[in-house]
Amino acid sequence: MTTLFKPDETFRDDYRYANSEAAILRFPFPFGEDGYMYGVNMEPHAPDRSDGAFVAAFDVDEHYVAECAERAEALALEPGRCIVLPHMREAQWDTLELIMESLAADYPDHFALTRSGDDWHWINRPLGIDQPFRFGDETTLPHPPFEYIVRQAQGDFTLQDQRDGTLYIDGGIATTPADWSIAFDVGMTFHEWHGPVPLAHQAGVFDRALQYLMRVRYGHPVRRLNWTMTINPRLDTSPENYPIWGPDRASLTPATIGSKLFLRVELQTFHRLPRSNALLFGIRTYLASIDDLTRVPKWGRRLHRVIRDLHPDIAGYKGLTRYREMLIAHLAKFDDGAITSPGIGPDLTTLGT
Amino acid sequence: MIIDSQALTLRVAAIDRLSPDLAAVHLVAADGARLPPAAPGAHITLSLPLPVAARPLRNSYTLVAADPETGYRLVIRRAARSRGGSQFIHDRLAPGDLISATMPHNLFALHSQAKKHLLIGGGIGVTPLIAFLARLRATGARFELHQIAAPADLPVFAQLIDPRAGEPVHIHPGRAGFALEALLRAQPLGTHVYCCGPAGLMDAVEATAARLGWPASHVHREDFGAAGGEPFTLRLASDDRTIAVAADQTMLEALEAAGIDAPSLCRGGACGVCLMPVREGQPEHRDHYLGEDERREGRCVMPCVSRSRSPVLVLDI
Amino acid sequence: MTAATPSNRPHYHPLRPDSAARAHLLVTDRAALDPSALADGVSAEQFGEVWVVAGHVHTLPRPFGESGVQAFRSVSHLLTMLGHRLAAETMGLRLYAAGIEPFVWDVAGVARAAGMGREEIHLFAHGPALRRVSCVHCRTILPAVTTSVVACTGCGAMLGVRDHFSRVHNAWMGVQVDAEEPGDVPAAEELA
Repeated sequence: MTTLFKPDETFRDDYRYANSEAAILRFPFPFGEDGYMYGVNMEPHAPDRSDGAFVAAFDVDEHYVAECAERAEALALEPGRCIVLPHMREAQWDTLELIMESLAADYPDHFALTRSGDDWHWINRPLGIDQPFRFGDETTLPHPPFEYIVRQAQGDFTLQDQRDGTLYIDGGIATTPADWSIAFDVGMTFHEWHGPVPLAHQAGVFDRALQYLMRVRYGHPVRRLNWTMTINPRLDTSPENYPIWGPDRASLTPATIGSKLFLRVELQTFHRLPRSNALLFGIRTYLASIDDLTRVPKWGRRLHRVIRDLHPDIAGYKGLTRYREMLIAHLAKFDDGAITSPGIGPDLTTLGT
Repeated sequence: MIIDSQALTLRVAAIDRLSPDLAAVHLVAADGARLPPAAPGAHITLSLPLPVAARPLRNSYTLVAADPETGYRLVIRRAARSRGGSQFIHDRLAPGDLISATMPHNLFALHSQAKKHLLIGGGIGVTPLIAFLARLRATGARFELHQIAAPADLPVFAQLIDPRAGEPVHIHPGRAGFALEALLRAQPLGTHVYCCGPAGLMDAVEATAARLGWPASHVHREDFGAAGGEPFTLRLASDDRTIAVAADQTMLEALEAAGIDAPSLCRGGACGVCLMPVREGQPEHRDHYLGEDERREGRCVMPCVSRSRSPVLVLDI
Repeated sequence: MTAATPSNRPHYHPLRPDSAARAHLLVTDRAALDPSALADGVSAEQFGEVWVVAGHVHTLPRPFGESGVQAFRSVSHLLTMLGHRLAAETMGLRLYAAGIEPFVWDVAGVARAAGMGREEIHLFAHGPALRRVSCVHCRTILPAVTTSVVACTGCGAMLGVRDHFSRVHNAWMGVQVDAEEPGDVPAAEELA
């Protein structure tokens, strides 16, 4: 698969970002039916399409080079966005190994990994990296191993230590967070980290999800989709920088809502790490504007129905309250009441205008 | 790469006869590729092709050592009474043989917050403790090891454990000289104890620790997991068709193998998608989805993880 | 912030000695243990050892294993001595803390550093309603916030206290309350 990278895209300040038609059609639209409620929507992370966002272990798309540059910028401004507690040392190397092996196997045109004992050689062509190093020896890499490899992957990651019948978020990187802070949350248990999510606790969703995740086995990763909305194609919607992106929520108008409001989807993956027995939680983030999505008739209809019927507490938690009515009015134009097919696929292979 | 294969194909590289009933088996990848690494305490499940059995016997063995390039090491005791797995390994397995195995899986891991790790082993239970030792030595962690061995096994265990000068490693000839209560009483705050061996020993460690006020979260015992169970029969109410569910197969796998359209999602007992109504029989619930009342009433079941207490389970499909 | 957001807030229960324990140590941040900190029918004597803060410099406690009440010069003094005591302890101890919320979580932090697990530590927060808040924008700690909205002493942002508590940092998350519409600050209410 040849990817045409767009290295000049930006996700802050001037927001130079656009999805190609191919990117729109492979977008992981999160709604498989005309309504939304929390559930344990986990499934095996196995390739289920010949193409698309679910094929590779760690998806690389046309925004790869630009997102890596955005991460480098975010870390230069705030190094504290990447933290790993000392006891997660094995998990750092596990993560580096898993991501390197996966990228090299899934995208042999872009990445290569050769190994002889502990002497490894990593090549990342899109980023122009040629790195020989010794596996297990931090002094042979320019950054600690977890930070080193996540700087070359799209999306945020957390490292979960499994102990005492729960998972502890004992490390991670959060430069594309949907309003959560790794600096504040480090050391929390699974339930504590999910504290602010409404309704899900009462339904026992987190209890069941935790039991399921603690049983994830090496070689059998799982995934789920999560979603929210963002104004402008801004990846860094952190609480730290809320004063910077918060005002955008009040800036939408009926004329701009189509181009400036983005559906933000997280393809969340869970991999068991072999040497540490920790869990790697990947939060791969995709952005598509309302205008992008309504080019797919099924998605336009469905999105209208989901937002219109969404429980107000969920809408509030996801930050939609301020512009929800405006969004429903805009999307109504794309909903003729026709039946939508089950499943998340676009039911199209090319886009109209 | 998403690894979706269920099994590793391993080749026996060597078998060392450590004693008349202890064998060290060295396994490498059949195709010479790197093997998955593993955390200390992990095990693999081998499919052993017993000569007179219809299906392979699946037995789990601790990885005494696991290196992606040099391979895996198991130490297996010949058990007098068994389903034949250890006898097969001792008497029939030979270098060059191919054997199918699962990916490594870990249900007995070192605790990341322990200030000190107290390791207690009985007999062949020493195997995960050897794996622990390698990691603890490499990281400079504080530990103490007590191994109870039959007098005849002392030299072999001393060789396997290979204590270094000054290390707090004690190999006891038999249980008589092993003062468990005094040992547990003396442990500093922040100690975690890990026990592997005969059930009697593990039960004694658990009970003594509890009596001395240790919290359960600081007491760990080896557990190969409760996958599989007794075989049973499914009957489908709509057409009276019967489907056999084997010991090492889930109900969902049996339904799928029989061509039944059985929706599923997480395949781990958490999401509720595969829920099926039960007309007759007693389900054995192993899921995390049903509530207490639903379990008691037994009118539905999650086929991806649950099984049957009764020989026949009738599904209302 | 929406009013009725659920949270990960800790739940506190009046203290009762754990019958499974070998020994108990109860610490508090004031000169005498407040009776409200104990469960019905439980007396301080049942814990064996109780540490209090006398608040003056002539106090000379014996922190290593004497039953009865020991008095310490200050909260800092008590926490430092607690660290030394736990380093010399053996398994089977349960630790109990009663006092204002920031104090009990400081005690939990000392216990965690000594390798104690959550079931070995029991906390009861009481006293004046105040919260220790961490400003997520500039990381300044506001040690004793008594209102729902407060100005950050570091960066000046008007912070609302999110219902999100970190046991490790011993702080609630403070987030700018008027980020979306600058100046639209809700009236500050006293914490209950």
